[in-house]
Amino acid sequence: MDLRAGDSWGMLACLCAVLWHLPAVPALNRTGDPGPGPSIQKTYDLTRYLEHQLRSLAGTYLNYLGPPFNEPDFNPPRLGAETLPRATVNLDVWRSLNDKLRLTQNYEAYSHLLCYLRGLDRQAATAELRRSLAHFCTSLQGLLGSIAGVMAALGYPLPQPLPGTEPTRAPGPAHSDFLQKMDDFWLLKELQTWLWRSAKDFNRLKKKTQPPPAAVTLHLEAHGF
Amino acid sequence: MMNISLRLRRPSRMVDGKRMRMTSSFQWLLLTFILLYLMNQVNSQKRGAPRDLKCITNNLQVWDCSWKAPSGAGHGTIYEVCIESRSHSCYQSEKTNAKIPALLPGDHEITINRLYDFGNPISKFTLNEKNVSLIPDTPEILNLSADFSTSTLHLKWNDRGSIFPRHLNVIWEVKILRKENTEIIKLVTHNTTVNGKDTVHHWSWASDMPLECTTHSVAIRCYVDDPHFSGRKEWSDWSPLKNISWSPDSQTKVFPQDKVILVGSDITFCCVTQEKVLSAQIGQTNCPLIHLDGENVAIKIHNISVSANSGTNVVFTTEDNIFGTVIFAGYPPDIPQKLNCETYDLKEIICTWNPGRPTALVGPRNTSYTLFESFSGKYVKFKRVEAPTNESYQLFFQMRPNQEIYNFTLNARNPLGRSESTILVNITEKVYPRIPTSIKVKDINSTAVILSWHLPGNFAKIKLLCQIEINKTNSVQERNITIRGVENSSYLVAVDQLNPYTVYTFRIRCSAETFWKWSKWSNEKKYLTTEAIPSKGPDTWREWSSDGKNLIIYWKPLPINEANGKILSYNVSCSLDEETQSLSEIPDPQHKAELQLDKNDYIISVVAKNSVGSSPPSKIASMEIPNDDLKVEQAVGMGNGILLTWNYDPSMTCDYVIKWCNSSRAEPCLMDWKKVPSNSTEAVIESDQFRPGVRYNFFLYGCRNQGYQLLRSIIGYIEELAPIVAPNFTVEDTSADSILVRWEDIPVEELRGFLRGYLFYFEKGERDTSKIRGLESGRSDIKVKNITDLSQKTLRIADLQGKTSYHLVLRAYTDGGMGPEKSMFVVTKENSVGLIIAILIPVAVAVIVGVVTSILCYRKREWIKETFYPDIPNPENCKALQFQKSVCEGNSALKTLEMNPCTPNNVEVLETRSAVPKIEDTEIISPIAERPEESSDAEPENHVVVSYCPPVIEEEIPNPGVDEAGGTSQVIYIDVQSMYQPQAKPEEEQESDPVGGAGYKPQMHLPITSTVEDLAADADLDKTAGYRPQANVNAWNLVSPDSPRSTDSNSEIVSFGSPCSINSRQFLIPPKDEDSPKSNGGGWSFTNFFQNKPND
Repeated sequence: MDLRAGDSWGMLACLCAVLWHLPAVPALNRTGDPGPGPSIQKTYDLTRYLEHQLRSLAGTYLNYLGPPFNEPDFNPPRLGAETLPRATVNLDVWRSLNDKLRLTQNYEAYSHLLCYLRGLDRQAATAELRRSLAHFCTSLQGLLGSIAGVMAALGYPLPQPLPGTEPTRAPGPAHSDFLQKMDDFWLLKELQTWLWRSAKDFNRLKKKTQPPPAAVTLHLEAHGF
Repeated sequence: MMNISLRLRRPSRMVDGKRMRMTSSFQWLLLTFILLYLMNQVNSQKRGAPRDLKCITNNLQVWDCSWKAPSGAGHGTIYEVCIESRSHSCYQSEKTNAKIPALLPGDHEITINRLYDFGNPISKFTLNEKNVSLIPDTPEILNLSADFSTSTLHLKWNDRGSIFPRHLNVIWEVKILRKENTEIIKLVTHNTTVNGKDTVHHWSWASDMPLECTTHSVAIRCYVDDPHFSGRKEWSDWSPLKNISWSPDSQTKVFPQDKVILVGSDITFCCVTQEKVLSAQIGQTNCPLIHLDGENVAIKIHNISVSANSGTNVVFTTEDNIFGTVIFAGYPPDIPQKLNCETYDLKEIICTWNPGRPTALVGPRNTSYTLFESFSGKYVKFKRVEAPTNESYQLFFQMRPNQEIYNFTLNARNPLGRSESTILVNITEKVYPRIPTSIKVKDINSTAVILSWHLPGNFAKIKLLCQIEINKTNSVQERNITIRGVENSSYLVAVDQLNPYTVYTFRIRCSAETFWKWSKWSNEKKYLTTEAIPSKGPDTWREWSSDGKNLIIYWKPLPINEANGKILSYNVSCSLDEETQSLSEIPDPQHKAELQLDKNDYIISVVAKNSVGSSPPSKIASMEIPNDDLKVEQAVGMGNGILLTWNYDPSMTCDYVIKWCNSSRAEPCLMDWKKVPSNSTEAVIESDQFRPGVRYNFFLYGCRNQGYQLLRSIIGYIEELAPIVAPNFTVEDTSADSILVRWEDIPVEELRGFLRGYLFYFEKGERDTSKIRGLESGRSDIKVKNITDLSQKTLRIADLQGKTSYHLVLRAYTDGGMGPEKSMFVVTKENSVGLIIAILIPVAVAVIVGVVTSILCYRKREWIKETFYPDIPNPENCKALQFQKSVCEGNSALKTLEMNPCTPNNVEVLETRSAVPKIEDTEIISPIAERPEESSDAEPENHVVVSYCPPVIEEEIPNPGVDEAGGTSQVIYIDVQSMYQPQAKPEEEQESDPVGGAGYKPQMHLPITSTVEDLAADADLDKTAGYRPQANVNAWNLVSPDSPRSTDSNSEIVSFGSPCSINSRQFLIPPKDEDSPKSNGGGWSFTNFFQNKPND
């Protein structure tokens, strides 16, 4: 950066402004109630972490399913996986959702996905894969808890699971191995989409609940130099 | 005739059938029909009677005979068929056929006539069984079912055996068609027999293609194979086709679903769909499509390879959809290998096995195992562990009371097959106990303990074999014990024969008495046995102090196996005549006590004490039994020890003691002692303290009534070494032909062995030369004297040459080797007779010469006078002219400008001081020692004889060649003396000149202005310069420092220098050797001329 004489005055002013605003930075201000901000941030971080974790898990699991499931351009129609909660949603619809609805949808989706995922855990043949799945399930359970925490912090009630709608995998001859593999494929795909969507949701929520942070302002000022 | 009618009838029937389907050729068929009809009418007209009798049978009991009606036979005609055989029988029929019972073999006459129609002739036929055809009835499929899961068709039909009169073989033919009955894919025959009853037959067929893929149709016909029937036998007609098709309950499907097949087999997959299938793939491989009914397609896989864990995916892709199935290709279970059953505790049997070849089938398709015991009829099923491995599998089977023999069968089963393995065991012989635990040790006494442990299991019915490992420092012992098994798993056993106060480590393992396997070793248990009283008294010795007043008692600490505990203290007591006096209690680390005793014979006893008690006392008498007959012996050891032997002495009752000490130590000297039993006659003394080359004194004591008597005193070495120093020797006396040498003893510490003698070497030689050569080279000129008489301390060496330097060397030797040498140079005295002769002969010669000369001179005095001193001098003898001439002859081109006053007969150079050196003085002045300073300090000559001479001045360039060529000469005046000045060259030339020339050198090359430092260099150079002026050149060296340097030619210098009067002997005198023993002859002497110097 090219510094001129005038710049040093600007930087001094910037430094003063930083010092002035320090007590206002939420992370440093530990005296008051932190609000839902930190837990939203944590949930957001967890979502990103799960996205990362799923990437490696899905690779292993699709290899286990064998070709053509592990082929990169494999994109089957959604057969027999109608019970899976769909993450894809029209952008306008998504925009029209309010925070409560968004969080509720997230919560319900992960509740269902977790149940399916546990079924997946039972099916997998190799011990290594089972361990990875169990680990991912635990993480997903944590995400569910985090979402519940955010909802509680924002004062939203948790959705009550309807009796008898607990999703289960239908074992037996009615559900062939191939269709099960298709379900597994779609489960992983939906999980991926949901995590991506949740990251977007929580980012939006985070921005909405966060007070205008001083650091951002200062950052913009620094760019003005 | 019958054949024709048959041929005619058949086409007409065919025409009827085809007319239904082929309407296009209707006209052609109609023409054919009319033609046939006309022909028929012509035949009827001609004959007018039934004809073409033909008989068939379908059951061998009734023959169905038919004939052709004659023309004109209208409706309502009744025929009578009569068989003209032994019993005439007739049958009436309104049709042109009649059923007659089967006739016996042979020809039968058959008559057929029309009743009530008497004008017509009667037809007669001869009928034989051979002309009858056996055509069974068309069979009917009772039921055709399909098992879609296994792709199997089940066919069921009735053979109608009741219509046949006897047992018959029937051949059935089944055909299976696909693709809308256009393709026969299977044609099989099936043999049965009929036995007079109606029987339903079953037949199954597994399709290579799933039955769902397409419609399968089945038809059946039969053939009765009766050997007794001589007529023609024919196949029945095909039964009507029966179809099997799959009614799709849902949308598109792929078949077979989730099937498990054997690796390497062939399989067909099909996709039942309404959409057009674009492609199909198995795994990653695309397969060609086989089109079936409608849009259905199939793929055929040959030799399928083994599947991955999740199976092999088969996928059919349509325009916008994807259908698939999973196939699991694997192997049937291998025979369980290494099946083994054993028990840990006689409560439960554990059977282990190895599954063998992997089946490649996992999850629900994995191999299931069942262990079945045939005597009890019980079984257990294998519950799959978390991760299926190829390692050992195991199953637990609860033992049954009172059953020892078990017959196990292990069944392995998976969707592809099953296998089994059996084993018959007597379980009491297959006991592999678990690891013993909870090992405890309890004291019984100091040498025995009780060991208890816990071994899980109920071994009440068998005996156990246990192994106890008893581990002591440096020793391991294993003891086997057999114990009766108990129900409560607790075992204890006594272990004896242990040592007191010893740390033991115990560990245990067990097996059944009928050995199968040892259990693993238990954990180790350390235990220290309790103390016991010391088993022996300490090993004791005593020495009197040097002043003889105190007795010092020594004892050795008890070894751990005799101490039996921690020794706390020692009790020393002394007794005299039954009166015991306890003296002191000495704590443990101290192992000696000093007692003040008088010279009475006390008995000293020493007792060691530990916490349990005291040892038996060790006793020793204070006084020594005297021994007058004692001599000192020598002994040499073997490197690490020394062997002492002695004669057996029966009077020695207790034991022998050998004590030893370093001989150089002061009294009382005691390093250590050793006791040996009284019956032994030798002992090897070993000690870490022994060092080679050190003299030790050994004393052998015999013991008699606790009193010791010194038997032998031995000095010895563990190992002898060479002496470390040379003997000191001096020359006592020297004569002209002998030397007397005396030497001293070497101290014992430096001798390092028993002295075996001296070696004396002598040779002629000077100091600096002899040193170089070795004595051991065996040179003949070295004389050696070996002195083995150790008492001899002097040696006279005779027969030597006088006035000769001798090199003497003396060295001592032991059995360990030669010591260092000490050398000396001695010069013998000169021989006086020789000296006298050397003086007298020259004197006598000189006198004789003088006398003869005098006589001659006296006799010839007139002639001498006339010759040398005539009265009138001869001018030719003028010396002055001679002088001038010789001076100027060198350069005739030069003319004298000044006439020298020609002084007749007398040109003298007068010197102010006498410079004639004495010969004796020159002796000590080597050419090196000449002092140029003196010459430079010499006074300039007073008288100046000015002579004219053309010297060549060499300016700064010392290049005579250039000067001569240039020819530029200057004429200067110098004094005569300068001409004779030794040539002073520039310094660099001074240095280089001697190097440049070897051999003869200009004799006047002398330094003029050299400094002292330069002299040193010159001295070195001069040594190499060969011949040198042999006189003190100071005499001629009279140049003044101020005089210009003369650079006269060398020839003049040569001509100048020729001091032939100088005696050259002085260079033969050797430089004085200050280090050599003082020669009596002192400095230079005449005898030097006669001495032969071997080194020159």
